[in-house]
Amino acid sequence: MRAKLTPGLVLLLLFFVAAALLPFYVDPRGHVLRIAAMALLFAALAQSWNIVGGLANQVSLGHAAFFGIGAYTSSLLYLRLGISPWLGLVAGAALAGLAAALLSLPTFRLKGHYFALATLAFAEVMRVIANSWASLTGGPVGVSIPFVGSQPLNFAFRAVSSYYWIILGLLALVCLVFGLLARGAIGYRLRAVRENEAAAEVAGVDTFRVKLTASVISAALTAVCGSVFAQFTFFFDPDSIFSLAGVSVRMAMIAIVGGLGTLAGPIIGALFLIPLEETANAFLSSKAAGLSQLVFGAILIAAILIQPRGIMAYWPKRWSRRAPSPAAPRAEPALAKGGQ
Amino acid sequence: MNAHTPVLEAQAIAVTFGGLKAVDGISFTLKAGEIVGLIGPNGAGKTTLFNALVGLQRLTSGQVLLGGDKVSGLKPHRVAGKGMTKTFQNAALFPDMSVLENVLTAALLRHDLASARERAGAVLHRLGLGAIAQTDVADLTFPQKALVEMARALATEPKVLLLDEVMAALTPSEMDEVMAVIRSLRDEGLTFLVVEHHMRAIMALCDRLLVVNFGRLIAQGTPAEVANDPVVIEAYLGQGAAHGAATGAATGSTTVAGGAHA
Ligand SMILES: Nc1ncnc2c1ncn2[C@@H]1O[C@H](COP(=O)(O)OP(=O)(O)OP(=O)(O)O)[C@@H](O)[C@H]1O
Ligand SMILES: [Mg+2]
Repeated sequence: MRAKLTPGLVLLLLFFVAAALLPFYVDPRGHVLRIAAMALLFAALAQSWNIVGGLANQVSLGHAAFFGIGAYTSSLLYLRLGISPWLGLVAGAALAGLAAALLSLPTFRLKGHYFALATLAFAEVMRVIANSWASLTGGPVGVSIPFVGSQPLNFAFRAVSSYYWIILGLLALVCLVFGLLARGAIGYRLRAVRENEAAAEVAGVDTFRVKLTASVISAALTAVCGSVFAQFTFFFDPDSIFSLAGVSVRMAMIAIVGGLGTLAGPIIGALFLIPLEETANAFLSSKAAGLSQLVFGAILIAAILIQPRGIMAYWPKRWSRRAPSPAAPRAEPALAKGGQ
Repeated sequence: MNAHTPVLEAQAIAVTFGGLKAVDGISFTLKAGEIVGLIGPNGAGKTTLFNALVGLQRLTSGQVLLGGDKVSGLKPHRVAGKGMTKTFQNAALFPDMSVLENVLTAALLRHDLASARERAGAVLHRLGLGAIAQTDVADLTFPQKALVEMARALATEPKVLLLDEVMAALTPSEMDEVMAVIRSLRDEGLTFLVVEHHMRAIMALCDRLLVVNFGRLIAQGTPAEVANDPVVIEAYLGQGAAHGAATGAATGSTTVAGGAHA
């Protein structure tokens, strides 16, 4: 597959270069870098979600389930068995992929809202299990990862910038996976499923298998984000890691506001929404309880009403179009010119 | 499969919607290389029968054999893989894709991405659609959409192709072009079952006709036989179309006879 260097791809590469240089220009231990890291992590989450939500239009409101599976798997393996979170992250991804595969058996027959509700219920079930199975998970108190100084092999670093770069690398990986899927054979099949499932089947697309593949990949990447999140924040509890508003809806929202099904959408969405949310918190949370959430919610609604296709809708279409095919032979009959 | 095995065999197919018997025990066979017309008044059950054949519609009873293998009960993509697919009466293209991408997606059934792209280009060219390969399907006219439907179905490289009114909105000269393509594909071994309301096209194109009404097969035979069948005329009289059917048959049958001797 040849990836043509479109203006969009150039901008994306420039973004990654600029993002990689950021720690040299801001306080390496400061708040700004933490927020930037969180924005990149949520960009990666939204991009993982975008694989099913955007390419296949399977709107999941339960991806927090996979996020939490990743966080718990790597953390518990590390705390209980001393297994490095680098390995735990792979185990978490495998477990989340398996969960997604099992979940798909009953849910893929569901359409639209019913699918969204079923995934939402799955994440809620995970939250309840994590809260009540205390002997395994630690229960509602959550999980704390002790500070051990710098141990790169155990995914432990002193500087925020180290985590920041790892998260940036994770975002690059997720974007690469998304790009390969979107431009590959499975990308065409997923879009066919999204646009007309019956026609896709008749045209030879195994719609179940295509959706299953996308779900498993999406869930596995989401779990990796969960493991990285746990190492980065040192602490999480069932209600925050399996949160509907804080994780499931937020990843979907970022992808939708940025531009559903596009490569750059989740990045733009995260760079727009996460700092906005932080600013709203910083300025408004002292004024009245819940005011910052209210303002943030209002901005979200406005953004979606103004441009349902997301910020990426303002990107000139001709810039992202592939090069036209070679000039058609002249000898063709008149049908192509059409008209009634 | 030897030369005498029918390429498609429908055995007592029935499809019921609630109390409505949309398809009510239809049996027929198609031989390799035949072009067979499926005609009948609106609501007779033609589209439902197509959906049942390709696996989009679950059968209430009966079974479908493709090249001797049972395909009823399989999902449509498996039926497509075994060599039978259909076009949609109300063009069901993938709206956010270009014409080429629509066809390419179907070609992925038997090819990797690079050769699927080539195959799709070749199919479009064959149907005279090469010039609109990069057009968004949203910008197509209705007849163009029907032809892209046909191109997408052909890209799955079927043995049996079910065409549901692909010529509905074509001008007579465009219709002649499409019929020429269908005949040349037949010469390469494809078998067609064609639903069309244009009697002129049906009479000129088909070797044989199946006539359905109220979900039942009421007559079959050569276009000339069917056109003179009192049962058929009666069925169409209810629709006020008997005149069209009869006159169409008169002009069409000579063409078929001429073609058969050529
Ligand atoms: N999904 C469905 N549920 C209920 N009834 C249906 C369904 N699909 C078709 N029908 C009914 O079944 C009958 C046959 O419809 P069908 O579309 O197969 O007819 P047709 O011969 O293709 O008609 P036309 O020439 O108008 O395309 C009609 O009475 C129709 O209303
Ligand atoms: Mg019909």
